[in-house]
Amino acid sequence: MLLEAILIALWAGIIGIDMYVGLLHIHRPVVTGLVVGLILGDVTTGLMVGGTLELVWMGMVPLAGAQPPNVVIGGTIGAAFGIILGVDAEAAVGIAIPFAVAVQALITLLFTAFAPVMHKADQYALEANYRGIERINYMGIGIHFVFNATIAFLPIYFGANTASAVVESAPQWIIDGFSIAGGIMPAIGFAMLLRIMMKTEYIMFFIVGFILAAYLGLPILGISLIGLAIALYDFYQNKNKGNGPTPPREEEITDGI
Amino acid sequence: MASNSYVYQDPSEGEQLTNKQLNGLAFRSMLLQASFNYERMQAGGWLYSILPGLRKAHKNKQDLSKSMKDHLEFFNTHPFDVTFIMGVILAMERTKEDREAIRGIKVATMGPLGGIGDALFYLTALPIAAGIGSSLAIDGNIFGPIVFLLLFNAIHFGSRFGLMHYGYRTGVKAIAKLKEGTQKVSRAASIVGLSVVGGLIATYVEFSIDYTWTQGEAELDIQNEVLDEIMPALIPLGYTLLMYWLLKKGFSPIWLIIITVVVGIIGSGLGIMSAGE
Repeated sequence: MLLEAILIALWAGIIGIDMYVGLLHIHRPVVTGLVVGLILGDVTTGLMVGGTLELVWMGMVPLAGAQPPNVVIGGTIGAAFGIILGVDAEAAVGIAIPFAVAVQALITLLFTAFAPVMHKADQYALEANYRGIERINYMGIGIHFVFNATIAFLPIYFGANTASAVVESAPQWIIDGFSIAGGIMPAIGFAMLLRIMMKTEYIMFFIVGFILAAYLGLPILGISLIGLAIALYDFYQNKNKGNGPTPPREEEITDGI
Repeated sequence: MASNSYVYQDPSEGEQLTNKQLNGLAFRSMLLQASFNYERMQAGGWLYSILPGLRKAHKNKQDLSKSMKDHLEFFNTHPFDVTFIMGVILAMERTKEDREAIRGIKVATMGPLGGIGDALFYLTALPIAAGIGSSLAIDGNIFGPIVFLLLFNAIHFGSRFGLMHYGYRTGVKAIAKLKEGTQKVSRAASIVGLSVVGGLIATYVEFSIDYTWTQGEAELDIQNEVLDEIMPALIPLGYTLLMYWLLKKGFSPIWLIIITVVVGIIGSGLGIMSAGE
């Protein structure tokens, strides 16, 4: 089992990178099912479990940077245990989900822990040290590899029972707490965007976008198209007034009064 | 947007990037999220991706340093269409545009492109390709994963490399107009960007109160009967505005992350919050 566990761990490390860097999407369960099936000598079961896990994760994509339950660990552990334990695809999904949720919480911690590194990057920028910037990014890739390979190796090598016991022994409310925090986390990114973009004269467009999503449930692409329509209208309104490079802020005030 | 905020030491135009160099930059953009973190998100990888282009544009060390520093500011967009922004920004860097204008264009384009990328790649292309692939795989057909990868990556690489060239050409062509029209363009982009951010908050900040207030026979589901009645997505909006306010008060993003984790754990421990609806 050691050799198989190492090979699966290597795969988890590689697709742990692919999930953020490269993005060939070899990290999707439909691919992992095939690879784990090849390693464990049961391609057909691997494909079936992988295909089923893929449907579970279909909507779980990192929209606007939010972390869904981890697809790398969910996919490798689900496929591996599905084949090793000989359980059906749905049971494999059941085994995979707690791991995926636990790793989602760990990823939140990892992305938090990596924030201070940016201050090192600031210093490299000050010195125009491009090698330093490159090193930081290569280091990030290395961390993802080690992180995912380790997490995949332990449960597969030490067996299903021990592993689920570890996941289950963590208090449920802490795991839930991390998943709640993970759901709120995009708010910080949006707040930082607002800090950069928000000006008093633009607040109305922010409100319009919010209303379209909150009350009417429009998808983001629809909202961007409506935003584009407003922007075009605004552009031609100002153009027809024949004011060249005058800052729009001034017109706005005179128009309003 | 104040102009003449920074005066270039060397204001001469940099050399044009060749098609081969543009492809190399598109290739580097695959590392956009290598140093992803909650403080600056993709900023480290963004700087990494455009760095060879910046070095071609700025031969003066102080100019390069200033530009590198600017590009380490918070950045987040969709990793497949980021090359469009790269192309436009590198065209602007080459012709030594006003630094505030460069920053404005970058900030104004990342939100809309992020929203459009999520919609096109993650909510449209991925479900279609993965749906076809997994239906084959579930039948034990080895072509399932292969078909998935071919379909998905045709779209992925088509966008990544195509948009790099398109963005750079557009940038170069648009520069003359941008010189007088930067404010108009930023204004238009701000309108689209802010409406998208408003929509993103309502759509993707998942946060709800899971508490039923009881007094005698009377029960009141706080989320469904109170908060949703006042306004849908009230809590996500309120929390985002609280974060915005704290940022303006000078709290660092790291503190906001820690606060959010504590809020999640307390909310979970007291059993009054749940993820999503």
